Formats: sequence, structure tokens, C-alpha cells
Amino acid sequence: MLVICILGVQALSKDWLETGFLALLPTGEQQPEIAKATRQHNELSNRKVIWLAGAATSEEAIRHAQKLKQQLEQSRLFNKVVLEFPQQYIEQYRQLFPYRYQLLDAQTQTILAANPDRLLQQNLEILSSPIAQMQAGDLERDPALLFSRYFSAQNPVKLNLEQGIVVLSDRHRFWALLLTDLQDEKLQLDKLETLSALVNSATGQVKAAGGELLVSGMPLFTAHGAESAKQEISTVGIGSSLGIIVLLWATFRSVRPLLLSSLAIGSGLFAALVICVLFFGKIHILTLVFGASLIGVADDYAQHFLCDSFGEQDWNPRKGLKFILPGLSLGLISNLLSYAGLGFSPFPGLQEVALFSAIGLLVAWLTVVLLFPLLLTGFTFNHQPGILKLTTYWEQHWPLWLSKNRRWLGLMLAVFIAGGLWKLAPQDDVRLLQSPPPELIRTADKIRSLFPLTPDNQFFLVLGKDQTDWHQNEQRLLERLEALKQQKALTAYEGLSNYWPDANRQQQNYRLLKQQLYGSGLLERYMTDLGFDRTAVQAELKQFAEAEHNILDLSEWLAAVDENKQQLWLGCDGGRCQSTVTLTGINDINALAAVNDLPGVAWVDQVESVSSLFARYRIRASGLLAIAFCLASAGLGFKFGWRNGATIMSVPVMALAVSLAMLGWFDQLFSLFNLFALLLVLGIGVDYGLFFFMAGDRRASTSLGVTLSALTTLLAFGLLAVSSTEIVHAFGFTVTCGIVTALLCAPLIGLKERKI
Amino acid sequence: MFNTVLKALLLFFLLLGQSCYADDVLTQIAARLIKTPITQGNFHQQKHLKVLHKPLISTGTFTYDQSKGVIWKTLTPVVSLLLVNESKLLTGQGEQAVPAAFGKVFKAMFGGDLAALSDGFTITGTDRKTSWQLELTPKDDMLKKIIGMMLLSGDSELRNLEIREAGGNVTRISFDNISHPAQLTDEQQADFERLSP
Repeated sequence: MLVICILGVQALSKDWLETGFLALLPTGEQQPEIAKATRQHNELSNRKVIWLAGAATSEEAIRHAQKLKQQLEQSRLFNKVVLEFPQQYIEQYRQLFPYRYQLLDAQTQTILAANPDRLLQQNLEILSSPIAQMQAGDLERDPALLFSRYFSAQNPVKLNLEQGIVVLSDRHRFWALLLTDLQDEKLQLDKLETLSALVNSATGQVKAAGGELLVSGMPLFTAHGAESAKQEISTVGIGSSLGIIVLLWATFRSVRPLLLSSLAIGSGLFAALVICVLFFGKIHILTLVFGASLIGVADDYAQHFLCDSFGEQDWNPRKGLKFILPGLSLGLISNLLSYAGLGFSPFPGLQEVALFSAIGLLVAWLTVVLLFPLLLTGFTFNHQPGILKLTTYWEQHWPLWLSKNRRWLGLMLAVFIAGGLWKLAPQDDVRLLQSPPPELIRTADKIRSLFPLTPDNQFFLVLGKDQTDWHQNEQRLLERLEALKQQKALTAYEGLSNYWPDANRQQQNYRLLKQQLYGSGLLERYMTDLGFDRTAVQAELKQFAEAEHNILDLSEWLAAVDENKQQLWLGCDGGRCQSTVTLTGINDINALAAVNDLPGVAWVDQVESVSSLFARYRIRASGLLAIAFCLASAGLGFKFGWRNGATIMSVPVMALAVSLAMLGWFDQLFSLFNLFALLLVLGIGVDYGLFFFMAGDRRASTSLGVTLSALTTLLAFGLLAVSSTEIVHAFGFTVTCGIVTALLCAPLIGLKERKI
Repeated sequence: MFNTVLKALLLFFLLLGQSCYADDVLTQIAARLIKTPITQGNFHQQKHLKVLHKPLISTGTFTYDQSKGVIWKTLTPVVSLLLVNESKLLTGQGEQAVPAAFGKVFKAMFGGDLAALSDGFTITGTDRKTSWQLELTPKDDMLKKIIGMMLLSGDSELRNLEIREAGGNVTRISFDNISHPAQLTDEQQADFERLSP
């Protein structure tokens, strides 16, 4: 214990709590390149927070945004706060100018091939337009406006800029856009709290100044999740502690049992926490919630031990231990077996919970077995607790009543269970597990409609064995996407190969220009008609001729373009080149997913793939539950004979069946995480059955122990059922149903033996 | 080239800025201008670009509607349509970014709201019996690098607009056949309709 304490101080002095939802997802499940692409994609989106400051006029909106920018910079939460459109990016693009004859945008290519006159007419239109300066600023160096066209095609969505700031508008307001990146994609809890506080205070300030502030981004969703989980932990913690204190005080009228139970659970928890942090480096907040709950089983051991003291007149701790040790040990083994199964699941969250609860239980058990006899020396009762009378009465009359009415009760139960199971439908959609408040979702939707450049979660991964192969594959994909865009299956897509033509394409472009414009005399005529003099025409033709062998490398191109485009390229290594194609405004996800059939193209839908993983692991966890069940049955059967084993196991069987039926009847979420709760029910059910089976003539004290432990467990889990987080609520609900059933069934065990 | 694009962008950004009081002359001239919700007329534009030895000439019609924006319809040398309001700009090439305050400059000129121009420019002017003239010099240093001066002249209407770029290019636009109908034609209505979201 001392060792654990020392280790603990060391382990917990660093940052040990993980809150990001993605940390719960398995990594080994996906193909490595998809996993890598997903990680890169997530790392980017996990840090982004979008702010829109709104007001009746654009000037006001900009003023709000400027004030907000200062505030955000002072917070030191962000490594990037972008309000003014970065102008160096325009400068950067100039590096591409020498390659203007190779870099044609798709539209220019099409028009040029079909009707070069039309292209020149368009140029004339552009030149005489009032905004000519913006679109054709450099007629002298780029008389055919090739580079102007290429540059303007770089940003398919045209954003309005005022004072260098992106200003969006809807019917009522102007919105100034501010983009921020959090410093750390690991989303630490204290940072998230600071972020939430910052959002709240900024919203208040903008509102006070007569404006409106919209904020969205993955970190906000995570922050909300972390906050509500934290709040629930403290609610559940305080509620259950209070309940347990009252219950134990009423029973034992002494502080010692209370302190001892706390010691058992506390040392279990602490050891579990420390070992987990040492082993995994970090522990997820959900592990803490579930793990702490699972360790609640340890309460069984403490209560059983303590209540045994009511079983005999001349009870002393050593004698008591000798009597209950087999039961406790068997209980521990069966529980450890159940939880060990979780460790084989590839979900890091489940592995953490498995280790956490196994260590916790073991240490709690050791505390009970090794320390209790010592600490309980000289501990006797001279009172007859009220609850003991109650449980004794209950233990004597309830089973009798049950067996008297077993016919119609059995029938009712059978109908109830069958009906519930029939209604039970699994739901694995990962989105159901998170329950962000509607307000956050509304804001996110509003921002998406105002600023349509935020890519969706789904994307395509494009692979090729070299750049040429990759380029071909991506071009094929983009063609399909263009068609889907016309059909309104999505509003926009973004892929590199539309902006960077590969070497072949670059040469084609050059040849196209030569054939249709520069070599045909058309350019000369156009320039002369516009009013260029002879030398200017000659100079342009010369420049064109000299540029014939120019080829722009992808790396050179990437160095010149903006960050959003750079991020699409995932690089080449080991004979494999890959990029992502991002999608915006998806309307028809099935149509997009169907594009998967192209060579070198993979559709990545994390939500879908995680949901289907959850489904597969729900099925696997069902298997694990069955295995745990069989192991426990086999163990008990081996020890007590098959018949007796089956008798004991009837308690958990009943508890599991009723839990599942209740889930069905009440239309509760049924996913992987409920199975988890069922594991706990299995463990507890086995304990109760076992304790009663081995009670012999100490049924009264056993009944008290089981009732107390059931009540304390219910206090802990019953409160989980009130949680607003779907997953936690489902867990609490399942456990509550199971425990109540186990409590009601357990007294039937061992009854006959006594009568005989 | 991008310097120029950048500067052109800046031109429009910087037309905004802190508000300042209007000149006496400005007030007087503004008082002479006819202010109605709708103004329409013909334009004749000459662009003298340094690299070209002859001006680029275009003609067409314009319609200004106080609440809806501007229709700028070029008829020669190629027919093309430009529609703009405060938040949207459509050209033959599709939707474009609206240069900031672009709509506001139009509004100031055609709507007779000269005071709005004094936000970004130092204005000197002469107000004669039959006509008036205003010289607008940008206040901001960055903008000065692009625009040397803008000249506006007219009587009860704005008649001429001349933009002298710092680099030597000059654009002259003259307006005639100006009228103030009470209602838009169906065609004009339909054009403005395309601007509504």
C-alpha cells in the first residue's frame, strides 16, 4: 500500500486525465493509412474554434470581432487567432506566376478547347467591368489573364472582405469571422474549462455591446461533455456517499464499519487509478466513471464481512473470516473473470476499465481479507439493528410467499421477459452516446449555413503508387464528385489535383494554349485589338515560347499555396502517395459512400465506422458475457456440483433477463455499454447467490449483508440512471434493474437445504 | 501583378474608416443633388491603361435602387451584366467577392449621399452656379499608393467620374440620360431578384 501511495504521488502529479472522445476509439481496427489520414484530419478539426461576431452593420460586427480578437489573444489558449485575411498568402501565390501557361483551371481548359474566341470575349468583359482591377490587375504581364483566372479558381467560394476581414451576412445581420486554433489538440480539461468560461464571458460582452456572438467547434462539444461528466461524478459521488453513510450508521451505530467500507473501496479506487495511470499514461474520464462504479462491487465484500458479525453470538473477526472467505474468494474470482473479458476488446476505453476495475476489486478484496480482521479486533455489537429485523423477516417470508404463488408469478415473469426481449433493439449509432445540448447544435448549424467552408466529418482518402497514379485516381474521383455536386448530393469538394495538374496535364495545357491561342495567331489579334503595341505582343509570344519546358513540382506548388490546400496532401512514402478530398454540405451520404468503387479511393466515415465497430463489439461483448457466464457456472459447478452451480447461477440469469427485458420495455438505449452493466450485474448476481448458498444457518446475517450491499450499490448506480449523458444513464438503468432482481431472487437460494 | 490585386482590394477596404464631418461645400453640393429612391441612365466608360495605346471603351446602362443595389449593364463591346448590393456581387463569371464598401460607394454617388465618401477621402470642391466639382484624395497611405485622386463633377446629377490611379491608369465614366422613375421595370425587378438570397 505504501508502494502504491508513493507511485501514486508520482503518477498523479502529471497530467493524467483524458477527456477527448476520440481517445476511446480503437486504433488497430482501421487500415494504417486510413487511421493516419483520420488522425491528421481529426487533429486539425479538433483544435478549430469558429467565432462569428454579428451586428446590424458590418462596421459594428468588425469592431466586436476586433475586441474579441484581443481578448482571445490575451487568453493564451490559442496558437492562432485569424481575423484579418492573411495577405502574405497572395504574395506566396505569386511564386506560381512563371507556370501560368501550365496551370490552367478547369473552366479555362474547357472554354479554350471548345471556343478560344469565347475566352477572349470573356476577357474583354472582365476588363471593362467596374471590378476589372480586382480580376485583371496585371494586364501588362498577363495579357490573356491566364493567371488571374487560375488564381480566382483557387477559391471557389467567394468571401466578402472588409478591412481584410471576412464578413458574412444573412437577412438580419452582418457577421465578422474569426478563426482560432487551440494550442494543443489533446484538449486538456482545465484548458477546456478556460475555453468555456471565455466563450461565456465573450458572449456576454458582445451582447452587452448590442451584438451577437456565435461560437462553435469540436473543442466546445468536448468541453460540454467533460463538464457534464464532471458534474455528474460529483452528484453521484455526494449522493451515494450520503446515502451509504446514513444506511451504515443506522445498521451498525458505529463509525468503524463506515470507515472500513470506505477504506476498502477507497484503497481499491486509489490503487486502480494509480496502476492505470502508470500503465496507460493517462486515464479517460469515462473510465473513471465506469471503473469507479464497477469497484462498487467491492462493497459486497465489506458488507458481507461486517454483517456476518450479527450471525453468531461469540463472533470474532478471524472466525468470521474463516466462514465467509470461500464465498468472498469465489465472488472475487468470478468477478475478475467477468471483467478480464473486457480487456480483450480493442477499445482502449474498455481495456482501461477492465484493468481499473480488476485492480480495484483485487485491492479492495485484499483490504477486506487482510486488514479487516486486524482492524475489527474487539468489534462486537450489543444492539439489534432495526434493519436486521426487517431483513430477517423479509428473508423468512418473501421466499415462502414466492413459492406459494410461483405458478402465476412464473407465468407473468415469463411473459414479461419474453415481451421485453422481443422489443429490445440495439442502437449502435455513436452519436447517440454523446448528448450535446440542442443549443450547441443549433449554433453549429447556423455557423455552417453562414460559413459554408467548414468541411464535413466524412472524407475521401485517395491512394496511388506514385504521384501520376495518385493524380489519375483523384481526378477520376473528382469527376464523379462534380457530377454528384450537379445533382446536389453535396455543395462543395476540395481536392488537390484540381489545382495542381500533374506533369502530363501541364504539358497538355501548354499544348492546348499553343494550338488554340498562341500558335494560331489569335492571341496576336486579340492583343493588337486591345491596343497593345507590337513589342508587347512579341514579348508575350517570346515568354510563351520560353516557358515550354517548365514543369511545376507538387512540392513547389504546395509551398506556394494556402494552408488549407497543403493539409490535403498526406505525402508519399514506401511507394504510396495519398491525399484527402474534403467534402462540404453533404446531402446524400449514400450516394457519396457509393463512390468507394473507384480504384485507390477509400470513403472514410468515422461516425459510421465507429458505430459499426460498436455494433460488432456489442456482439463480441455479448460473447464475452456468455463466456464469463459459462466460466462462472463451470467454476461453481466444479466446486459444488452441477445442480448446485445451476441453482446459484439462476440468480444472475434472472437478473440479466429482467434487465434486458426492462431495457426493451422502456425503450432504452441498448449498446455495447449496457453489456458492460450486464457484466456487473452478472458479478453481483453470482455474489448474492453464492453468499446465500453458503449461508447455512447464518441466513439472517447474510440477508442483511446482501440487502445492505444491494442498497449501497443501488445508491451508487441508481444515481447514474439520472445522468443526462445517454451512455451513463443506460448503464445506471441496466444495473439498477439487475440488482433489484438479484436482491429479490437471491433469498430463494439455499432455502431447501435448510428445510431438509 | 498581385500587388495590383492587393491594392485594388485595399482600395475598397479603406473607403471605410472613421467618420468625419462634411465640408460646407460638400453639404451645399449634396443639397443640389436630386435624391430619389431610383436613379437610372446610360454610362460611357473610357479606360486608359498605360500598356494599351488606345482606350478601352464600354457603354451601357445603369440602374440604382436605394434598397436593392445597382444593375450595371454593359452593352458594348460585349454584353454583360453586373449586379451588386451590400453583400452580393454577380457577374458573367458567377458570384464574386464583393469588394468592401463597393456597394456603399455606388450608393454614395448615385444616392447623393456624398457625406459617406468623406469617410475615406479628403474632399475639396468647388460649387459654381451651373456645376460643381469634387476632388477626392484617399486618406490612407496604402490607398494612396493605388489611387491618386478621384474627380466627381455634375449639376443636379453626378455627370462625370474620373479615377486616376497612382500607376498612371485613368478611368473616365460619364453618365447621361439620367432619370428618376417611380418604379422599376419588370426586367430590372427580375435582375434584382437574382441578388436576393
